[in-house]
Amino acid sequence: MLGVAGLTAAAMPAMAQGNGQITVMAYGDSIFRDNYVSAVIEPFQKASGTQVQYFANPGSAQMLGTLRSQKGDPQVDVVIMDTTTAALACAEGLVEKVTAQQLPLLNDIAQQARDAGGECGPGVTFDNLVMIYNTDNVKTAPTAFADMAAPQWRGRVGLGGPPNIQGLALTAILAHANGGRWNDISKALPALKAIAANTQTFDPKPDAVTVVVSGQVDFTTNWNARAQLASIQSKGRVGVVLPKEGTAFQINTINVVAGSKNAAQARAFMAYALGTEAQKAFTERVFYGPTNTKAQIAPEALNRTAMAPQYRDSIVNIDWAEMQKLRDSWNQRWRREVVTAAP
Amino acid sequence: MIGWLLALPALCILGIAFLWPLAALFRISLNRTLDSGAMEVAVTGESYAKLLGDDFTWQLVWDTVTLAASASAMAVLLALPVALLVRAASPRWRGVLALMGIAPLLISGTARLVGWMAILGDQGLINVVLQGMGVIGEPLRMINNWTGVRIGLVESLMPYAVLVLLAGLGRLDGRLEEAAATLGANRVRTFFRVTLPLAAPALLAAWLLDVVLGISAFITPKLMGGGRVFVLATEIYDLALESVNWPAAAALAMLLLAGLLALLLLRGVFSWLPGRRA
Repeated sequence: MLGVAGLTAAAMPAMAQGNGQITVMAYGDSIFRDNYVSAVIEPFQKASGTQVQYFANPGSAQMLGTLRSQKGDPQVDVVIMDTTTAALACAEGLVEKVTAQQLPLLNDIAQQARDAGGECGPGVTFDNLVMIYNTDNVKTAPTAFADMAAPQWRGRVGLGGPPNIQGLALTAILAHANGGRWNDISKALPALKAIAANTQTFDPKPDAVTVVVSGQVDFTTNWNARAQLASIQSKGRVGVVLPKEGTAFQINTINVVAGSKNAAQARAFMAYALGTEAQKAFTERVFYGPTNTKAQIAPEALNRTAMAPQYRDSIVNIDWAEMQKLRDSWNQRWRREVVTAAP
Repeated sequence: MIGWLLALPALCILGIAFLWPLAALFRISLNRTLDSGAMEVAVTGESYAKLLGDDFTWQLVWDTVTLAASASAMAVLLALPVALLVRAASPRWRGVLALMGIAPLLISGTARLVGWMAILGDQGLINVVLQGMGVIGEPLRMINNWTGVRIGLVESLMPYAVLVLLAGLGRLDGRLEEAAATLGANRVRTFFRVTLPLAAPALLAAWLLDVVLGISAFITPKLMGGGRVFVLATEIYDLALESVNWPAAAALAMLLLAGLLALLLLRGVFSWLPGRRA
């Protein structure tokens, strides 16, 4: 109780403490849900006395739909969603704006995570794009996305293509690596077409890890946290590489829903989730990078994230607000020029 | 009057569960998507104009319709022998055979497709057997492409065709076939000159039903298409849940609905043609 009380008192002096109930809407997949409940929600409940109901949703778009449909009478108090969708919620006034005066803790949050939230809630987790591979079939560990273009992997590659943000991130990374700015798709297209020539699926089903473990393909792109867990759970059958072309962050933001009936408790939860204790617990449990720069993460966990010192220079800084404007045209170019290059 | 009262509960459910959401969908389609991606409440036809002016939309329409038409034709072709077998069976076996014909409908479509993925995949049953026998060196690529989508769609549409054909063939007068046989026609000739022409309306009805279902099919192209088979339903999904462009998704859904209604209208007109009625 003292931990949360101290934190929130420093963060938001006017915030009400304890009791009541809030609803937190976030991802429904078991990796995120189970670990977030254990690492963040349960400790918060214990410390604050506020009960938290976890409202699981399949993805950010569905969460935005829920917020839009409940605009007049919100039933959700806090939402954790991808930055691209959160930006729309912020622009449409569906979530609260927040300043460092209201929440001094924002000063401890990495600038990229603050930028990701714009005027609204900041990033609460960093994830990043990696390449995963089947270590039984790929004997020499790959080091670059370009390795997927080698002739022997014809038909053995899976990519998450646009409009999925994995495909957008891959495009930006390859554009940057090939001498352009991240938003110059023309620099990425030759490398993308070369990989596409080996690509069997641009939408791995049932998911990117299963298709590699089952041997349907040998490589896919994936988000780091899931890939690291898969690598551990598969006892090394799934290899994870942060490719030398670099990586880019996928950022989940945390926001208090505008018009929340439990706004004080919701703000307390947001402050707790951004605090060092929750950030450390969640990163060490499931390898999402912390956005709080003061969180002291165990080295073995930090080294499995792109926040480790050795990877810092590999990060391609994508402006996701600008990406939103490019999304449609990139999607069309992928379909017309990249997907058509597949066998 | 009593008829209307009896129909009232169903009409209420239809209004609440279909017409009201449909009206809401139409209203969303008139909103505007800003450059930032945010949705602005407006009354504009911008989404419709953009979709109709985009070559890709028309390519999607063509691919969707040709996929549905060809898969439906194949489904009807495969369903016809099943329906004929059921019709020819003794009453004792007819029920069992009919149930077997439509048994796939008793299993979730997603579960069936996951099964197909296991059978048709690179490490699937067919490739393993063929490679084990030395027939092929490299695995045949049967999923994550149009081939996989066609196989999955034919399998999912076939039970509906069986149902329609069972109903249609059940009304055929068997005495006409007996008369043909009496006049010297062998079984093949009887089939092509008597049974098939008489079954044509049922075949057409089955094909049209399957086309309508095929045009709106989503799960099959999504799971079996490997992100490289683009049809109207997957595009609506991508617009709504990946690009989060609701006005465009709603507009495309309305256009798809209009197309399906036009198809059903065409079927109605076709069934009223004088020659058809005779």
